[in-house]
Amino acid sequence: MLSISDVVIGILQAAVIMALSPLVTGIMRKTKARTQKRAGAGVLQPYYDIAKLLRKDEVVSDQSSWIFRVSPWINFVAIGTAAFFIPVFLAYSPFGLAGDLLLVIGLFALARFFTMLAGLDVSSSFGGLGSSREMMLSSLLEPAAFLAVFVVAVTYGGTNISTITEAASGSALLPHPQLIFAAIAMFVVMLGETGRLPFDNPATHLELTMVHEAMALEYSGKSLALVEWSQSIKQLILFALIVDMFVPWAIPQYPGPMAVGLGLSAFVVKVAVLAAGVAFLESSVAKWRLFRLPDLVSVAIASSMIGLVFYYL
Amino acid sequence: MEQIQAGLMEISGAVLLIATFGVIARRGFTDWLDAYRLQSVVLAGVAAITAYVTGIWEIYIAAILTLGIKSIAIPKVLAHVTGRLGMEYKTETNPYLSLRASIMVSALLVALAYFLVQQLPFRTDTVAGIYLPVSLAQFFLGLLALVNRRTALSQVVGLLVIENGLFLFTLSLTHGVSLIIEMGIFADILVGIVISSILLFRMSRTFDSLDVGNLENLRDD
Amino acid sequence: MFEAIVLLFLGGAVLALASGNRRFSVYAIYLPPMAGSALAVLFSVAVITGRPFSWAAQGVVPFFHLEIFVDGISAFFMLMIGIITFAVSLYSIGYSREYQEARRVQAFGFLFNVFVASMFLVVSSNNGFFFLVFWELMSLASFFLVIYNHEREENIRSGMTYLVMTHIGTAFIFVSFLIGYLQTGSLSFDSMRGSSTSFPFLAKNLIFVFAFVGFGTKAGIVPLHTWLPRAHPAAPSNVSALMSAVMIKMGIYGLVRTLFGLAGLGASPEYAWWGVLLIVAGSASALVGVLYAVVERDIKRALAYSSIENTGIILIGLGLSVVFASYHLVALSALALVASMMHAVNHSFFKGLLFMGAGSVVHATRTGDLERLGGLVRLMPWTSLLFLVGAVSISGLPPSNGFVSEWLVLQALLSSSQIPSTILQISIAFASLPLALTIGMAAATFVRLFAMTFLSKARSKLALNVGEVPRTMIAGMAILASACLFLGILPSLGISLSASAFHLQYIPPGPFDAVSLQNASGRSFAGLSMPVVAIMLSCMALASLGFVRVMGGRTSRTAGGTWDCGFGGLDERMEYTATSLSQPIRAVFKTLFRPHSESDREPYEQANPYLVRSVRFNSSTRNIFEENLYNPLVSSTLLVLDKMRKIQTGKINSYLLYIMITIILLLLFVRLSHA
Repeated sequence: MLSISDVVIGILQAAVIMALSPLVTGIMRKTKARTQKRAGAGVLQPYYDIAKLLRKDEVVSDQSSWIFRVSPWINFVAIGTAAFFIPVFLAYSPFGLAGDLLLVIGLFALARFFTMLAGLDVSSSFGGLGSSREMMLSSLLEPAAFLAVFVVAVTYGGTNISTITEAASGSALLPHPQLIFAAIAMFVVMLGETGRLPFDNPATHLELTMVHEAMALEYSGKSLALVEWSQSIKQLILFALIVDMFVPWAIPQYPGPMAVGLGLSAFVVKVAVLAAGVAFLESSVAKWRLFRLPDLVSVAIASSMIGLVFYYL
Repeated sequence: MEQIQAGLMEISGAVLLIATFGVIARRGFTDWLDAYRLQSVVLAGVAAITAYVTGIWEIYIAAILTLGIKSIAIPKVLAHVTGRLGMEYKTETNPYLSLRASIMVSALLVALAYFLVQQLPFRTDTVAGIYLPVSLAQFFLGLLALVNRRTALSQVVGLLVIENGLFLFTLSLTHGVSLIIEMGIFADILVGIVISSILLFRMSRTFDSLDVGNLENLRDD
Repeated sequence: MFEAIVLLFLGGAVLALASGNRRFSVYAIYLPPMAGSALAVLFSVAVITGRPFSWAAQGVVPFFHLEIFVDGISAFFMLMIGIITFAVSLYSIGYSREYQEARRVQAFGFLFNVFVASMFLVVSSNNGFFFLVFWELMSLASFFLVIYNHEREENIRSGMTYLVMTHIGTAFIFVSFLIGYLQTGSLSFDSMRGSSTSFPFLAKNLIFVFAFVGFGTKAGIVPLHTWLPRAHPAAPSNVSALMSAVMIKMGIYGLVRTLFGLAGLGASPEYAWWGVLLIVAGSASALVGVLYAVVERDIKRALAYSSIENTGIILIGLGLSVVFASYHLVALSALALVASMMHAVNHSFFKGLLFMGAGSVVHATRTGDLERLGGLVRLMPWTSLLFLVGAVSISGLPPSNGFVSEWLVLQALLSSSQIPSTILQISIAFASLPLALTIGMAAATFVRLFAMTFLSKARSKLALNVGEVPRTMIAGMAILASACLFLGILPSLGISLSASAFHLQYIPPGPFDAVSLQNASGRSFAGLSMPVVAIMLSCMALASLGFVRVMGGRTSRTAGGTWDCGFGGLDERMEYTATSLSQPIRAVFKTLFRPHSESDREPYEQANPYLVRSVRFNSSTRNIFEENLYNPLVSSTLLVLDKMRKIQTGKINSYLLYIMITIILLLLFVRLSHA
């Protein structure tokens, strides 16, 4: 089974994700601000926010039940556990035998399930509308995510993320045109799952547009810190997955001081570029009307389907 | 080397399909034009790759022509002629199939194209083996755009996509031996587009609509 | 032991009739089946791990021998019956007191016991004739249980739909057995099993198709499902739990028996279309079931639709298994079969739990209408917690059993890339789209069900003054809830149990081992170790608690009103309703629902339409299966029957004439056939 050093490597990789995730959010906010000709807060601002919120007292709605209070914890625990399965500075994660890509999607679904319940628990219309929209979006994004995973899994021979990343880092991308389609699908799924434009605008609290923010509207203090942090972690996990699957360059196969340093810096650079790119995209597109979003998701689904055709024929 | 060539061709085919999807997945005329322009640029690249792989220099000329006429001239002409048309003529608001349904249908059509080509004995020829299904898929998608949409402008776009598909089809099968015919077709398309755009413009002025459904009124009953 | 179990069930039936309507009669009704089902659990585990059991009585009915044969497959389903019956009987002790005041419980207790006994006998009979007898007994008992609340006209109608559909199904099963009889000259399953591989191909196909339609009706395959969303809500909730958790699985049992025995599935690609048919039907059922579940207003009917969905998932697994078997991919076939059977077991656990939970809600509030419920989490804490466990499990979220079986089905789907046929590869890959959509929608469905029933403020007075249900009801639910979590954390136990029940070529892992699959190059395709995941989740929970405590220090928590934008007076009329919650989904899938809404507004003055005194909004969805398939079918049948009524003149002479004509025709037939 697992040796001690493996467990340490796994925990370190997860710790890197959890520690870096607010930074990625900060980079994205900064990029967005600069593209909009604003100065913007520093890239470390999300850390200050979380640290401050953790020390704040909470106000909870008197209408809410234990579901509302437990939900941020379940959120954080589920998404934090998902981080253990993601290769970061090495091409494998030692916990790969315990869980695969489908488990990561499942853990995200668990977190979302309780977020939706919490949105409905406070008996305000905001929570209701957030949960209602999330119900629609998530039920459509899940098949898109699964089909993208399908393409990647048949290409690299596994849903085990370590197998995927190892196979990806060892192969040239050229003979796999189906991965382009999978990457398009995965990108759309990532935008939807992390609530980026055109799905959702994380920067506003406007009832016409908000989805995720509407469900988390009633949270304050520690709970809000957990909700925001877990959202950042989820975002970084999705970025890391995209990076591991589609841009698998300079990922060392075996541990060692040099290798880890190289892998970590490559990871940070790749994720930062991706984050800046997404933030730049966010500045250039408008929020879509809610009922046009299924069109975008169906593009992702169709793209994966064509990817499958490319693979098999 | 062979491997890289094949990989390059596969990937260019994939990008071509993605560009074609731009026509299906969007609703505005300018979006279509952009998608068509992208598609034509990729098509020119595909022609250049084919020329490089097969070593036939005529295809380079076809590639340059594609780049010049399809990705610059035709979009320019279309954009110019339709520039004065109102927005209501340029957006497909009410297709027969909803946008997401047509996206799913077109994914199935692509699968069908690959399936059909699989039965043909071209697998030995790399160029034909890779581009033939793409061209067929392009043809189907253009046809879908023609069938599914109501405004005459989108029909023009559908026609253009079909034409691109046919170009790729002949390219992958004959490796561009008939350059003179190609040039004739290019000229034909350009003139056809100019004429149809002028007609469209007159149509919108006279009838206040570009809905081809109105043709039903011509039926004598 | 077998005899003891049957005797206990029948004893329960007799006791129910004998005990009258006294205080202790609920114990007399439900204790014997509890004992019987506990014994059945022991018995089936003994059979799975040991040797098959067989028993025969010659000439109970002339020409037909009552043969009892319990092999691994039977024992597997018997185990399911045993566990569910035990939990449901315990639950029923509290639940039936409700009926005891209004009505006599003897008939109910009698039917309940007969129903359980007949299911038990269906899975153990080894002869087509007795199989059909017990099958019919099961259908009739459940029919009478469905119409137990016969005061409501609606329930009678639901019961009649059920009766008609189930008999059509039985007719198809009968034909399927008849074809087997024509081939072997015997209705014994043993002789059919023995020679089925040498049946002509056409006969095998016919046996399969008829069995598929017949058993599929019972299992609730779309479009044969229409009885299911009517009958399940009409029945008392303990019966709906049994029907949905176990009786539907009898259809699956029949299909498994037919596929891997009576119909003689061979390892050649020409059988692959059976699997494809199953996958197509399964995908359609899963998608249609979940799409109707997500918009349904009645809690029990939503659960019934969700049963159709889960039947679909089970069938997808079964179909994959058949496709793999027909291409002689033995290991993958075993994987898909295990996935399918695990999902069958898991579904029976969480659906039994959810129906009991819904029953508790209906028991306490007297309504199952989601628009009238809400806020029960404070009034019924235990019921809501247990219902939540069921909802998490059925939505396929880790670390529950639903996640494990859906994971297995998805892995079986992913393995379709090993089938050496491109068309099948692509079409099965595309079939993962409806399945993934179903899984996503199922989570939405149960968020809605749980939130509308238990969370936020009560939406009507009915849900205001209620209390927790009796302890026996909670205990019944708790058994199944812990079974869900248990199989979620230690799935290897269930997997090795089903592997040995179905005699699969599979090395059963230890209870704490990971489920792992290999790819073609010998590396890990996928691994899942739920015990490790559970440990990781709990460590993560502890770590985050500690981290937040250290970083944040001690903070207080104050209660305040929900944010009302400063207007004040937020009340239950401003909450999201069940209908509005699913509105986006209704709009996205409008081709299927054909939503229709009309609003009627009355302004204060005609000049200003924006100041409204009252608005009446009416929104409805339509059932396209009823409207486009069944209604034309029923009306055309009625037309034909109307024509046939002319035969019944009412004169005695004409009836005698019919008899005469029949006799003459028969004699002619005999004469001609001997010529």
